[in-house]
Amino acid sequence: MPLSMMIVLAIALGLSLVQGARIVLGRRWSFGSYLGFSWAFFVAFATAELWSLRAGNWVVAIISFLALREYFSMVEIRLQDRLGILGAYASIPFMFHFVTIQWYGMFIISIPVYSFLAIPLLVTLGGCEKEGTVFSIGVIDFGLFLFVYCMGHISYLMSYSIWMAAMLILNVAVCDAVSCLLQDQGKAVWARLARRYFLPLPVTVLLAVALSPWTTIPERHSAVLGALIPLLVVMGRHTGNYVEADLGVAEETVGPGRGQILDNLKSLLFVAPIVFHYIRYFLDLP
Amino acid sequence: MKSGRLGALIRAAIHLAVLRPLVRLYCGVHVAGSAHLQQLRRFIIIANHNSHLDVFLLFSLLSARDIALTHPVADETYFARFPIVFALVRFLFQPVWIRRGHPDRNDDPLRGLKDLLDRGHNLVVFPEGTRGRPGELQAFKSGLGRLVSEYPGVPIVPVFLSGPERVLPKSSVIPLPFWSHVLVGPPQVCIGSPRDITHHLQNTLCVLSQSGVIRRRPRQRRLQRHQPAPAVAILGIDGSGKSTVSRRLAQHLSTEGNACLVSDRLEFFENGEPKPLQPLGLEAARGLVGRYAKRARSLAHYKIPKLTELLLRDRLLAEVNRWYAPRIIVLDGSPLLNIAAWAVLYRKEHLDDDTLAKAIAVLAGDKPGPRRTDPVFAELPELRQLDRLGLTHLGLPRLMVLLDLPPELACARVAARGGPRQPHETEEKLGSLREAYRRVLRITAQKWNIPALTVDGTQPPDDAAGETLRFVRNNLEQNYGQPSTH
Repeated sequence: MPLSMMIVLAIALGLSLVQGARIVLGRRWSFGSYLGFSWAFFVAFATAELWSLRAGNWVVAIISFLALREYFSMVEIRLQDRLGILGAYASIPFMFHFVTIQWYGMFIISIPVYSFLAIPLLVTLGGCEKEGTVFSIGVIDFGLFLFVYCMGHISYLMSYSIWMAAMLILNVAVCDAVSCLLQDQGKAVWARLARRYFLPLPVTVLLAVALSPWTTIPERHSAVLGALIPLLVVMGRHTGNYVEADLGVAEETVGPGRGQILDNLKSLLFVAPIVFHYIRYFLDLP
Repeated sequence: MKSGRLGALIRAAIHLAVLRPLVRLYCGVHVAGSAHLQQLRRFIIIANHNSHLDVFLLFSLLSARDIALTHPVADETYFARFPIVFALVRFLFQPVWIRRGHPDRNDDPLRGLKDLLDRGHNLVVFPEGTRGRPGELQAFKSGLGRLVSEYPGVPIVPVFLSGPERVLPKSSVIPLPFWSHVLVGPPQVCIGSPRDITHHLQNTLCVLSQSGVIRRRPRQRRLQRHQPAPAVAILGIDGSGKSTVSRRLAQHLSTEGNACLVSDRLEFFENGEPKPLQPLGLEAARGLVGRYAKRARSLAHYKIPKLTELLLRDRLLAEVNRWYAPRIIVLDGSPLLNIAAWAVLYRKEHLDDDTLAKAIAVLAGDKPGPRRTDPVFAELPELRQLDRLGLTHLGLPRLMVLLDLPPELACARVAARGGPRQPHETEEKLGSLREAYRRVLRITAQKWNIPALTVDGTQPPDDAAGETLRFVRNNLEQNYGQPSTH
C-alpha cells in the first residue's frame, strides 16, 4: 500500500474517533462554519502528501490566519493599532515563505526578530495617542507568537517528515479526546491536571513507538516524545484556559469568531515548538 | 425590460458568487437569527451604520430573489463625488438616493422610498443617517417613523452589526480581517405616531446591541485589588475549645459570605456548608510540620517545629487570600500572638510589658520598629534570628477573642480527649500560658487598638460561639472589606 494512502487512512481513522466523541458528547460542535482543527491539519497533510509540500505549508498558513483573525476579533484595539495589526497579518506570508523554501535560520528568527521589532514601530506610526501603546504591542505580539510562530513549527516539521507532524497531531488529538471525555468539575486542579496527563500517557507512548518506523524517530526518542506530548498538552490547555477566560470566552458563548479556534488550538501551543525542537536537536536535522 | 432582467441576473450572480464569499472569507461573518428574515416577503431592514461594509453584510443576508428587490437608502451628494464608485454602487445595490442637507419644501424627501414600497420592494435603512462613532448607537432620524407609520403592513427587521467598524472604520481605506457579527432581531410591526415608532425602533436596536453574543471585554479594566480578608483570631490555651468555637464561628459567618477557617486543617465554608477547594502546597507542608511538632517529647524539642508551623501558618494567610478570596478568615490562634505568648512562657515572667510590646512590634514588622541594639533582642535571641532571616512581618488580626479557662478545667478536658499528651499540657504550664495570652491580648489591644474580647471558656461552645459572633458582627460591620467576587 502506498505511503500516502496509509497516511490518509490512519489520520482519518484517528480524527474520526476524536470528532465522533465530540459529536456524541455534543461538546461545542456545530457543522458548517466550524473549523475542526484536527481535520484542518489532516487536510494540510493530505495536500502535502498528494500534491506538494508547499501547498501543504500554505494550508497551515491559512489555519494560522484564521486563528489570528479570530484572536484579533476578540481583543479590543484602538483605531491606530490597525497598522500594527496589518503588520501582524503580513507576518504570516513573510514567515511561511521561509518555511516553504526551508530556510531554517530565517524561519526561526523571522517573527521573534523582524516582526517583533516592526510591530511596535507600526503601532507607534499609526497615530499620536500614546496611552495604551504597551498594551497594544503586547496584545498583537502575543497573538502573533501563539497563532503564527507556534503553528509555523508544525509546518516546518512537515518538511522533515509528514509522519512526524501526523504523529504529533494524532497524539494531541488523543489527549484532547481524554480531556473532552473527563468529567471532573469538582476535583482539585492538581488532580485534574494529573488525570489529563496520566490517562492518555499509555496511548500516546504506544502510538509514538508504534509509528516510529514511519516517523523515522528512534524508538527511545519516540517513547520520550510520547511521554512529553501529554505533559505539554496539559500545560497548553491550562494556559489557554486562562487566556480564554480573560478574553471572555465561556462555555456558553463560544462560537464562530468567538473563541472556537482558540479553544481547539490551545492544546498545540506548547506542543508544536517544543516537539519540533526536540526532534530537530536529537535527530540532528538541518 | 429584458435588459433590466439581465442586469438583475448579473447583479445577483455577482452578489452570490463574488461579494458574499469574499466578505465571508476575508472577514468571517457570523449571523444569528437569520430565520427572522427568511419567511418575510416584504420588509424594511434597519441597521446601525459604522462602515461601508455594512451594506455588503446586510446584502449577504438576502436570498437570491430579494437581492434585486432590495434597495439601500443612500446619500446622493456623498457618492456623487466619486463617479466610478457611484456607478458601481448604483449597479450593485440599486440604491434609492436621497439628498442630505438640501430640504426642498415642495418635494417630499421620502417619495422615492414610498414609490418602491408601493411596488412591493424592500428597503435597507440606516436610521442614524450617517456612519456614527464606532460602537455607539446615535439618535434615529425622524424620517423613519414617518415612513413606517404610512406603511403599517411592512414588517421592520432590526439588525445589529458588530465588527464592520473594525474591519473598515470611517477614516480607513484598507480593510483588515476581523470577524463581523450580524444579529437579526424579530420583525416588528409598528402602529402609532411617527415619533413613537422611531422611539420604539431605536429601543429595539439598542436592546439588540446589548446582546452578550457580541460583547467584547473593555480594553483596560482596572484590576480589582483584593483587600485581604479581615482575620478574626480565636486565642486560648489547649482544651479551651477554641477549635470548636472557631469552627462554629466560621460556619455562622459563612452565611454572609465565604469564610475560611485556618485551624489544624484548612477549611472553607459557604452558606454554612463546608466546601472542598483546591489544596495548597503550603498547607500540606504546614500539616506535616504541625504533626511533627505534636509528637515532640519536651518543650525544647517542641520549640522549633512549632515556630516553623506558626510561620507557615502566617504565610498561608496570603495564599488563602490569593487563591480562595474569602470574605473573612477565622484563625484558630494567631501566629503572631501565639509566638509572643510562647515567648512569655519560655522566658517565664522575666519579660516586662514594654519588652513584650517591642517584641510584638518586631514580629509585626512595624516601621519604625525597635533598633537592632535594643535590649529586646538581647532578651529574646530567637527574635534576633527571625529578624535577620526576614521572617517577621507577621499579620496582626483585625479582631481578637480570648477563650479564658482555668488550667485545671483545661487539663481535665485534654485528658478526656484522650491521646498522647503534649509536653506543655500540664496544669502549671497551661496556667502560665493563660497568663501569657492575657498579657499579650491586653498589650496588643492597647498599643495597636485592636478590638478584643474575653469569653468565658467554661460555658458550652455554642454560647461562646454566639458571644463571639455578636462581637465580630458589631465590630466588622463598618469595615468588612470589599465583598469577594470569587
